[in-house]
Amino acid sequence: MRFKSQRVAYYYFVVALLLYGLQVVFGLLSAAKYLGPDPLLHLLPFDKTKEIHTNILIVWVLTGFMGAAYYVVPEESRTEIYSEKLAYGQLIAWTLMGLTTVTGYVFGWTAGNKLLEQPLPMKVVIVLVMLAFLFNIGMTIRKAGRWTTTEAVLVAGLVLSALLYLPALIDFENYTVGIFYRWWTVHLWVEGVWELIQGGLLAFLLIRLSGADREVMEKWLYVIVGLTFIAGILGTAHHYYWIGVPHYWAMFGGTFSALEPLSFFGMAVYAYSALRRSGLSHPNRLALHWTIGSAVYSALGAGILGLAHTWPAVNKWTHGTLITAMHGHMAFFGAYVMIVLAMITYAMPALTGRDEEQSSAVGMWAFWLQVAGMFGMTMAFATAGIVQTYLEHILGIGYLDTQHKLSVHFVMLMGTGSLFAVGVLLFLVDFFFLAVKPRVHGDSRAGSGAAWTPSSAAQASK
Amino acid sequence: MTKRQTRLFFLGSTLFFALIFIGLTIDSHRQISALTHSDQMTADVIAGKRVWHEKNCTNCHTLLGEGAYYAPDLTKIAEQRGAAYLSQFLKNPAAFYSEAKDRRLMPNLNLGDEQIRHLIAFLSWVSRIDTNGWPPRPLLVSGAFPGSSPAHAQQAAASSDPVALGEALFRKSPPACAACHSTAEGVQLVGPSLAGIAARAQQRLGDPEYRGHAKTAEEYVRESIVAPSMFLVAGPTFSAGGRSFMPDNFGHSLQASEIDHLVAYLMTLK
Repeated sequence: MRFKSQRVAYYYFVVALLLYGLQVVFGLLSAAKYLGPDPLLHLLPFDKTKEIHTNILIVWVLTGFMGAAYYVVPEESRTEIYSEKLAYGQLIAWTLMGLTTVTGYVFGWTAGNKLLEQPLPMKVVIVLVMLAFLFNIGMTIRKAGRWTTTEAVLVAGLVLSALLYLPALIDFENYTVGIFYRWWTVHLWVEGVWELIQGGLLAFLLIRLSGADREVMEKWLYVIVGLTFIAGILGTAHHYYWIGVPHYWAMFGGTFSALEPLSFFGMAVYAYSALRRSGLSHPNRLALHWTIGSAVYSALGAGILGLAHTWPAVNKWTHGTLITAMHGHMAFFGAYVMIVLAMITYAMPALTGRDEEQSSAVGMWAFWLQVAGMFGMTMAFATAGIVQTYLEHILGIGYLDTQHKLSVHFVMLMGTGSLFAVGVLLFLVDFFFLAVKPRVHGDSRAGSGAAWTPSSAAQASK
Repeated sequence: MTKRQTRLFFLGSTLFFALIFIGLTIDSHRQISALTHSDQMTADVIAGKRVWHEKNCTNCHTLLGEGAYYAPDLTKIAEQRGAAYLSQFLKNPAAFYSEAKDRRLMPNLNLGDEQIRHLIAFLSWVSRIDTNGWPPRPLLVSGAFPGSSPAHAQQAAASSDPVALGEALFRKSPPACAACHSTAEGVQLVGPSLAGIAARAQQRLGDPEYRGHAKTAEEYVRESIVAPSMFLVAGPTFSAGGRSFMPDNFGHSLQASEIDHLVAYLMTLK
């Protein structure tokens, strides 16, 4: 940690990880309801647990992004954060917003719009907090008078995220128009501007973990995010096939969303080629695992599994089935959860003063259990989704009768989901109990990631 | 390639595709009114949309295939079930489905009569949206829609045999007869099974509960399609207050020849 104010990132990561744990609890609850019968039917029915599960995901990943930005921007711009106080105040407001929203959901206070269920007052708070955050980051960069491509891509992703949230504040009378603009937020976030954030963080991590040349890395970063937008903007149309908009969207959606895997593959190749230079010699092996994992899993989950049902001719049959849940789980985990966890594990030694080389067995178990658990859950959703598509949508068997036949896949979902939950629990144990407490400024016991270079590693190994 | 060039690639391609996207969006706005029949969006429809959101329906059900996958798709439910059934169902879902049998159940949302009316108006409006042919074949809540593939329907149309045409229509949506009526003995979906309806129709003519004007079994079957309340099959999920839950508008929504075909088909179910 080169700058004292980077420590605010630690508190963002604390909030993010606590919410992550809570998200998984609600995920398991929702999965259990698929098996049924549901003893909580009148207390906490499926709509509420599912809504809380997805909303906590969005809130904690954004918390992670903001924490990561507070860690990355000072280091890239070589300055302290403009206002540390504002950063803490903003975190408190954000956390209160998150908790109020979730509590509201339990009592039925909801806007009932998929993924954008936050009631209007909460949406206004989200916008205000985002503005405060962007102001703080913007002033930090301005004060330094220096910025790098890596942080510019990261910040551009965050600015556009705030901008694209604005349509969510409008209540459209026509349901179809409402869906149309809902995807401006949801799709253009996860298959557009969030990829800028992922790309920026990936570049930041790879430059430090592999010692790759910054000029080369940043040059290719532009290519990757360029590909993201070429495919991603018109790729929005893959949500516009069947909702009551002009039929030409099907052609655009089919063509451009088929290109969407390119940028994810680009990221995987990017990570692979960067790490070929230094091998896997960086002492922070855990951060290496999460970084490469994110590049690989997002190529699989967002790239291949998205492609699997994006063609209109296929989507016609798979639309509205658990196939979407298959793609959604692995894509979100690979692209956004893993990159945030990569940032956290990378920043931890610097933030807490823990020895980088002290490779934590618990941390490794946390990694592999989550990766394996998510793979299993994806397979459970995939098999359930394929059977559902075939029986219900192709053969014409009723929804309830079909669901009955999916029970075995829901058992598999519960089993692999529990495995995943153990992985998350171990990550939390590692973070909260096995790491040293936040480090005081001036303490230079452990080397920070930035100080490490491949040549120093080569010397050390001689 | 230099970094300058790749930056130009990023900014240029982003701007280019964003402009195309905005252009298509403007064009879509010109067409959405016609595709969604926005002139039919009455105050009831808009109020119903509000109920849909307030009650968080989308986090169990899908509508236009979007939402959660825990409960049936509702895109065509108003077309398949009709207002009388739906309003009764929404008052107490547990009377229609059992958690023991289906493993899940819709909780009672305690909706008022007004809210139910609005919600049904909203769902009927949705069922008329031009969805570009989705779903490609009817989605059912329960039961099965055997032999309703487009190929099957084409075959029937080519045959010009009234029975075959009637059977194809029976399995088409709309009118979605098969969404509620099974033709198998003892299989009760939403409405009574129609197995043996031709024979049963004859007996019904002499039933003291029968209030219609049919003189023959064939006339009875025809009447039951256009005026379903003339004879009420006993059961709390079939009728209330002397009115059948079956939609009573088939006399208008179906052509006379279509009704002839349906009757011809149903008369073969002896």
